[in-house]
Amino acid sequence: MKKLTSTLVALATLATAVAADSAIDARKVTTSLDKVSNTSSVWNGAKFSTVTLYPQTTIEFNDKKANEINAENKAVKAQVAAVYNSAKIAFLIKWPDGTKNVQQGNRTDSYADGFAVQFASNYANPAELPYIGMGSEGRQALIHLQKQVVKFYEPNGNGDVATQVNPNQTELFGKDLKVFNAKVDTLASLDYEKSYVGEGFRSMTEIKDGSSNSQSTMTYGKNAWTGTLSRSLKDTYVDLNAAAIPVAFAVWDGEKMGRNGLKYLTAWTAVVFQKGDNTLVNALHGKIEGDATKGKESAIANGCTGCHQMEKTDAASLMGPSLTNIGGYATVDYLRESLVKPSAVVVPGYNRNAHSNYAWYNIENGKRVSTMPDHSWMEKADIDNIIAYLKTLKAEVK
Amino acid sequence: MSKRQLAMVMDLNKCIGCQTCTVACKTQWTNRNGREYMYWNNVETYPGTGYPKNWMELGGGFDAAGDLQPGVIPNLEADYGVPWDYNYDALQGGASFEPNVEPTWGPNWDEDEGAGVFPQDNYFFYLPRICNHCTNPGCLSACPRDAIFKREQDGVVLVDLDRCQGYRYCIAGCPYKKIYFNPKISKSEKCILCFPRIEQGLPPACAQQCVGRIRFVGFLDDEEGQVHKLVNKYKVAIGLRTDYGTQPNVYYVPPTESPAKFDANGKIIEGSTRLPIEELEKLFGPEVHGAIATLKAEMKKRKETGESELMDILIAYQHSDMFRLDNNYYQQVAKESGQHLLAPVDNRYVTGKHTKAGHVMKFFHGGDVKAGGHH
Ligand code: SF4
Ligand code: SF4
Repeated sequence: MKKLTSTLVALATLATAVAADSAIDARKVTTSLDKVSNTSSVWNGAKFSTVTLYPQTTIEFNDKKANEINAENKAVKAQVAAVYNSAKIAFLIKWPDGTKNVQQGNRTDSYADGFAVQFASNYANPAELPYIGMGSEGRQALIHLQKQVVKFYEPNGNGDVATQVNPNQTELFGKDLKVFNAKVDTLASLDYEKSYVGEGFRSMTEIKDGSSNSQSTMTYGKNAWTGTLSRSLKDTYVDLNAAAIPVAFAVWDGEKMGRNGLKYLTAWTAVVFQKGDNTLVNALHGKIEGDATKGKESAIANGCTGCHQMEKTDAASLMGPSLTNIGGYATVDYLRESLVKPSAVVVPGYNRNAHSNYAWYNIENGKRVSTMPDHSWMEKADIDNIIAYLKTLKAEVK
Repeated sequence: MSKRQLAMVMDLNKCIGCQTCTVACKTQWTNRNGREYMYWNNVETYPGTGYPKNWMELGGGFDAAGDLQPGVIPNLEADYGVPWDYNYDALQGGASFEPNVEPTWGPNWDEDEGAGVFPQDNYFFYLPRICNHCTNPGCLSACPRDAIFKREQDGVVLVDLDRCQGYRYCIAGCPYKKIYFNPKISKSEKCILCFPRIEQGLPPACAQQCVGRIRFVGFLDDEEGQVHKLVNKYKVAIGLRTDYGTQPNVYYVPPTESPAKFDANGKIIEGSTRLPIEELEKLFGPEVHGAIATLKAEMKKRKETGESELMDILIAYQHSDMFRLDNNYYQQVAKESGQHLLAPVDNRYVTGKHTKAGHVMKFFHGGDVKAGGHH
C-alpha cells in the first residue's frame, strides 16, 4: 500500500512535468526599439507567452530571516512578449507581485523588487548552454538587471569626495547649504540598471565600459510589475542574429528580502525569430522521454539522495546542491550532462569557505573536478527515467 | 590564511571608555555618505546590549564542524540607532533646539549601566571593538560575489566595492556584526584597519589616539614585537568569542582586577571580587584563567623584584614600541607587486597652515580659498 501511494503521488507530479512552458514567438517590427517601455505601441500586436519562474533553491544562503520567509515559496507565472527589428530586440515581462518594494537609502534591511533577462554567449549547441542563472566556466552568460533602488551614490571614481560629507558637517548654512545639497543631488544615480558577464557563482562582473548597451524600465500597477528591456541584437558578448535564441528570466521580490540567489527564475526558454529549424525549441521545450516513477526508484537506488535534497520533504544536505526545484529551471540536456559528465559544469563552490567539510569539487590540474560520481555507465533508458523524475522536482505554481 | 597577519591587542584593564578611538575613526572614515550610523570602532559597556543591539545573539560565524551559521541583518532604527542631529539652521529664525529624529536607540544607550546592584556588587567594564580581521572571516565566506578579500601581505580584510552588489550576506555571516551596509551607496563597508595609514608606518587612528594607551599593533610573526609577546609569548591576550570560529586577530588582555563587593551595611567583603569570572569565560573562553594567572604572577613579580617584561610592555611607555608596523615591509611589498601605496589620509583633513585648502571650501566657493581651511 505504501508503495502504491508513492507511485500515485509520483504520477500526479509527473503530470505537471509535461505541461512545460512553450517557446516565445518574437514579432518583427519596423519601428524603432531605442526607447521602449510598457506603454510602447510595439506591444500591441505582440504575442504573449507564459513562462514559469521557480524559486531558486539550489543554494541556501546564510540569511536566517530570509530563509524563513522564503521556505514555502511557490512558482510564479509571468507573461512575456518579444519584438525585434533589424538592430534591436525588446522584451516585456509582466509578473504578479502583491507589494511594491523599493530599496531605501536610509535603511539597512530594505530590499528591491527587480528583474533580469539572461542571454547565452554561445548557444550553437543547445545541449551545452551556460549554467542557468549566472553562467559557467567557458560558457558565458550576459545578464541585464533592473532593480528598484531609490537614488544611490556609488563611488564614481571622479574624485568628488567633497560632496561625500554629511551636510551637517559642512560649515554651510541657509542658502549655501541648499546649493551644496543640490549639487550633491546631481551626483545621485536614479536608475539601478546594470549588465553583467557571468561564468559561474562568484564570477559575475559588472560591465562598466559601455560595451553592452541596454535600456530597461519597470512599472508597477494592479499588483504586478511590468518590465521592459531593449538591447542590440549584437554586442561584444552576444550575437542574437539567429533563427532562435535561448533566454532566461529572473525576478526578485524585495518583500521577501530577495537579492542575488534569492530569486525566481525560468529555465532557458527559446525565443523564435523564424520558424523552420526546431533544434533549439525541441531541446528546450520538447517532450520528456522516460518514466518518472522508475526514475525516482533509480535515483534512490543509485544513492542520489545521499548528497542531494531531492524532494522538499527530504532533509537538506550541505554536500550536493539541492534539487527541489531543478525540474523548474534546468533543461533536460543539462540534467543529462550532469549525470554523465559531472565535471563538465562545476559551479565554482559557493560553499568552499562556508562549508569546508563538504567539497563539491576538487581542483585537479587547475580544473574543477566534481565529487559527484560519473553515471555514464548507466543505460540510456535509465538515465532518461532519472531525468524525467528530476523534471518533476519543482514547486507548485502560486 | 594570509602570508602575514597584522594584529591588535587591547588591554581592557586600561580602557577608560573615553571614546576617543570612536571619534578618531568616525572623523576619519564614517561621518559621511551613508556611513553616519556605522561605528567601525565602538566602545561598549559590558555587560550590556552592545552595538548593534545584542550582536552576540545575531548568528553568523562557524559551528564546531566548520559550517557557516545563518545570521540576522540588524535594523538601523532598532538595532544600530539612527544618528540624529539638531536644527542648527533653524535656530537663527528663533526655533527651539530640536533633534531631527526622535532618538529611540543608539550606541551606548545603556552606557555604564552594567550589571549587579549598586552599591553592593554592581560592575562593568569597557569593551572596545573593531573588525577582527579574522583569519577565517565569516563575512568573506558568506559573500556570493567574491567581493571580500583578505590581503596576503597583512591579512587585512577588505570589501572590493567594485564587486560588492549590496547583498548583505556578509553582515549575517559576521558574528561580531562588524561589517555594515551602506544604504546610500548600496554596498557593504567595514573597518579597513586604516590600511592607507599602516602602509605609511602610521598605526590605525583608533590606536594612535587611544588615551589609555591600551592598543598595541604589530605583526603576529614579529617575535620582537609587543603584540607577538602578549599573544604568543605570555599568552595574556586572547581573541573575543573565539567560539564563533572565525579566528579573530584583535586580542584582549582581560580585566584582571576588580573592586571587592560591599555587604548590606556598605562594608567591604574581604576577598570578594565584583567581576564574575564566568562573564570573562563567556567572552574569552577557558584560556582566560591562564591569562589572569600570568598577569597576577607577573604583577607580583614586579612588586617583589622590580622586574617584569610583561608589566613593562603593558605600561606602554613608547608608541614606537607599541606600534611595530615595519614600514619598510610595506615599501617592499609595493615594490614587488608594482602597486602604489595609498595616500595616508583623506586629504580634506590635512588642511593646515602649510597645506593647500580643503576640497569642501574649494568646491563650495568654486576656487581656492586661503590656506588654513576651516575658519
Ligand atoms: S570581524 Fe566580521 S567583518 Fe571583520 S573579518 Fe571577522 S567576520 Fe569579517
Ligand atoms: S581611546 Fe582607548 S581608552 Fe579611550 S575608549 Fe578607546 S580604547 Fe578605551
